[in-house]
Amino acid sequence: MKIYTSDTTNTVRERTKVGIADYGVVSGDETLTTSGLGSCVGIALYDNASGVAGLAHAMLPYANGDSKEAKYVDTVVPALLQSMVDRGANPRNVRAKLAGGSTMFEFSSTDGSIGDRNVAAAREVLGRERISIVAENVGGDHGRSLELVASTGDLRVRSANAGRTTI
Amino acid sequence: MNLDVQSLRTFSRLAHSGAERAAGSLSQLTGVETFVNVTKIEVSTRQDVEREFHERDLVTVHIGFNGGIDGRTVLAFDRAEAVELVDVLVPGAADQPEGEMATSGLKELGNIMLGGFLDGWADHLETSIDITTPTFVDTQTEGTLEDITGDSGFQMATGDDHVLAFRNQLETSESRVGFHIYMLPTHDSVDTISNLTGGESDSVPIETFTSFSSMISEGAEQASDDLTAMTGMESAVEVSRLSFVPIEAVPMQLTDATRKGVVLEFMGTPSGYIAILFDDESAEKVADALMPGMEADPAMRQSAIQEIGNIVTSGFIDGWANALETVIEISPPTYVDDIGSAIVDPLATELAQAQEYAFLIDSAIRTENDAFTCDIYALPNESELREALDQLAAEAQ
Repeated sequence: MKIYTSDTTNTVRERTKVGIADYGVVSGDETLTTSGLGSCVGIALYDNASGVAGLAHAMLPYANGDSKEAKYVDTVVPALLQSMVDRGANPRNVRAKLAGGSTMFEFSSTDGSIGDRNVAAAREVLGRERISIVAENVGGDHGRSLELVASTGDLRVRSANAGRTTI
Repeated sequence: MNLDVQSLRTFSRLAHSGAERAAGSLSQLTGVETFVNVTKIEVSTRQDVEREFHERDLVTVHIGFNGGIDGRTVLAFDRAEAVELVDVLVPGAADQPEGEMATSGLKELGNIMLGGFLDGWADHLETSIDITTPTFVDTQTEGTLEDITGDSGFQMATGDDHVLAFRNQLETSESRVGFHIYMLPTHDSVDTISNLTGGESDSVPIETFTSFSSMISEGAEQASDDLTAMTGMESAVEVSRLSFVPIEAVPMQLTDATRKGVVLEFMGTPSGYIAILFDDESAEKVADALMPGMEADPAMRQSAIQEIGNIVTSGFIDGWANALETVIEISPPTYVDDIGSAIVDPLATELAQAQEYAFLIDSAIRTENDAFTCDIYALPNESELREALDQLAAEAQ
């Protein structure tokens, strides 16, 4: 987990990388980025009032007892939310955006699409936490890279061939 | 010397926490945020490690350690980049990046980072580890790892010197400086750590890993020969490695850059996934070489890449299948043109449902004039590969 405080003396906007099975929280002028979402799902949470935002890059839907909380949708959402609250976010103001969860390949050995299951789990867990999802850019058969702007909650989605979009 | 998967997992965690300590030491000292990107355990030949230092133009700081465990640690980095950081430690160092002051600053940097790294190991193993004073080695002028690996290497029947390397990649914020930490424990120390942490079961002699590693190298050679035959361009295997990594670190081997190529599934013992990837320019050149003088449309280019993927995969995998005395079937290739790390992400994720760590095989084939580079990533199912290696070990006895 990474937590950063904003440095007001720095005029360059800080970009913080979130790895795979990882999450980060920033505020103010900072942004969070994560790259290479295939079947993984990116969960962006933000609170416009406090300017605190968090981004998680989860691999699989459910932890089923595994302790690596950032790897799974059902364990990373509460952890991310708590970490945002610790930084001054109000859970009632927090909104969510989802991106990723694509199905890039159909393998003979696989049991359904992990991408679809990741997105379904994210919707379920966010519903349980009473956080509304205001935008999604999910599914399809291509990869995505994300950038979340803390101050606005804008989530920039980049893909190799499907262009760029902001949700 | 035996290694079991439980030990590899423990090694991986130790190496990662050691790297976190090293990153913490650097952040504290310089005020520049540092992250641990990747932690890998590799069975490499000494030549491979040396070649990597040479090709990346890295300089190194070496520190020996002894006590509870013995061996060598190496911090490798780009001198010009690192000198900028060193200026905090030794003000004025950046004014003369090649000077004595800069060198002593770099040694101090190595001391702090490698000291932090080893503290992580000592804590976990509940032992004390003493460190030697740092030595600065400019690999361009001084050359080899020969003197530094010492008894940490082990010789194979083939005559190749192998090392068990713990490789950590650290990066400062905004990607200003990248550091690689290698830890090369002595033969005996690997045994010591294995005995402390390992389970009784699933044990595979390290020689089995190295023979599998040699098989992979041969597979890569075959793939390179096939590529040469198809394209008419001389190519050679630049890297061929077997490493053990946390599964989530697998896609992080690739960047955000677009890659073109194919993904295939292989079925047998072991089953798994393979990706054959080219950067945009390489893909163009390879497709052109396959269809000389033709105005190829995108569909034709795509099928040329698929064809190459097929041939390269067969060359790559047939060798292991023969050596493991098993049959490995290969699925038809799926063409990909996407963000590099996103291509590998679904492959790692499929395996992540049943395994926490992965054996990652990565090879790079390059032509002499850099006309193209072809990267091969193979991810065999962990327990099935172990089964295959067990078989191999049983037969060797």
